[in-house]
Amino acid sequence: MALSRRTSRSRFTLVLLVLTSITVLTLDFRGSSVIRELRGAAATVFSPFRSVADTVFGPVGNAWNGTFHYDDVRRENDVLRRQLDDARAQAAAGAQATKELDDLRRASQLPVLSTIPNVSADVIAGPAHNFDHTIELSKGSDVGIREGMPVVAGGLVGQVVQVTGGRSVVKLITDPDFAVAVRLATSGETAVGHGTGDGRPVRVDGVGPQPAVVVPDHEAVQTSGYDRAIFPKDIPVGLVTKVEATANQLGQSLTVEPVADLGHLSVVQVLLWEPPR
Amino acid sequence: MKALRFGAILLVVLLVQTSLVAKLSIFGVRGDVVLLLPIVAGILGGSDRGAMVGFASGLAFDLLLQTPFGLSALTYCLVGYGVGLLQGGVLRSTWWIPVLSALGASAAGVVGFAVVGKVLGQDSFIDGRLPKIAIIVGVINAALVLPALRVARSALPVSVRSPRLVPR
Repeated sequence: MALSRRTSRSRFTLVLLVLTSITVLTLDFRGSSVIRELRGAAATVFSPFRSVADTVFGPVGNAWNGTFHYDDVRRENDVLRRQLDDARAQAAAGAQATKELDDLRRASQLPVLSTIPNVSADVIAGPAHNFDHTIELSKGSDVGIREGMPVVAGGLVGQVVQVTGGRSVVKLITDPDFAVAVRLATSGETAVGHGTGDGRPVRVDGVGPQPAVVVPDHEAVQTSGYDRAIFPKDIPVGLVTKVEATANQLGQSLTVEPVADLGHLSVVQVLLWEPPR
Repeated sequence: MKALRFGAILLVVLLVQTSLVAKLSIFGVRGDVVLLLPIVAGILGGSDRGAMVGFASGLAFDLLLQTPFGLSALTYCLVGYGVGLLQGGVLRSTWWIPVLSALGASAAGVVGFAVVGKVLGQDSFIDGRLPKIAIIVGVINAALVLPALRVARSALPVSVRSPRLVPR
């Protein structure tokens, strides 16, 4: 009798908790500001404890990564050296062209990406969970970072989604919820790109069908910066690695490898640019 | 008083998860020690406590993530309840039963999280990495469950009604 009462109480508790969870999930999906404020408040309260914990656990993490990821670091170092050499050569060749382009843009009064003020920040933590697609930065609202600001490291990294005094959280472009209006460099065709998961390329849908829109191999993809866009114009997003016709043959779907090395970010720039409200 | 102690334990576990475990990836997979809380509560206190601790710890973890809010709460609460139910059906105490429970429940928790996420439109949650994540999270939690049980016995708000799964 007592056992049966206990079992039915357990079931009642479970049903109540499941219903509460579903209610909370529904509120989140409807974009409730309460949830956003709750998350913001939690981040503010948690932040000082986190700083202490980072200091305490930091050496353990470094020792672990030094021991078990030494080969990765060496490989990464070699790749970075090669990239640095390439970049030096390209910088020398492109400096004059960039200057001419900037002059032309200024003359036509178009906004220039290089003129947007920015703040450099260290990446102090990756995702806290296997299904989370965020990174945490060492700077926050103290240096002018606000929610919605773009984050770059050679190319688009993501967007600031949460800010406290000394930290900010960035949603990466690989997050399936992440969407960005993009433009193809050669054709000028615009479309929408979205993340497809950790370590995976960005998918761009809505490109017109061939032969009207021809997408060459390694076509550069940039932010479109249209009116009221959430990112300024011309931030490099990635390079096209695969072009497929959609199932209905009415358009093309592009696989885009991000320019920013999202797996090995250590320093990023936050563009102090807020999307129009 | 017990709720306060649980709050303190939850805070410590969240700090360990975000500041330590999340940075120690194994084959690209991060552990999930927050999931240990409902497992331990289910083992020690039964399905009722397991579900409640799972809901509370999941909701607190959700506050720190950018995944759908409430998804961890839902999954962890079901995991805690399931482990509690399993605990009710065990007749003899051996050390490996909590270990196997943690292994299975953690893997089920990861898969459950991904499946519910997929239902909610997070298509990327189910991909080729999922079995690897489930296995590694399960193995890590299986390795940690016995020390966690010892710590939790004195700290979690569970009344140890039927501690048959707990090795003495």
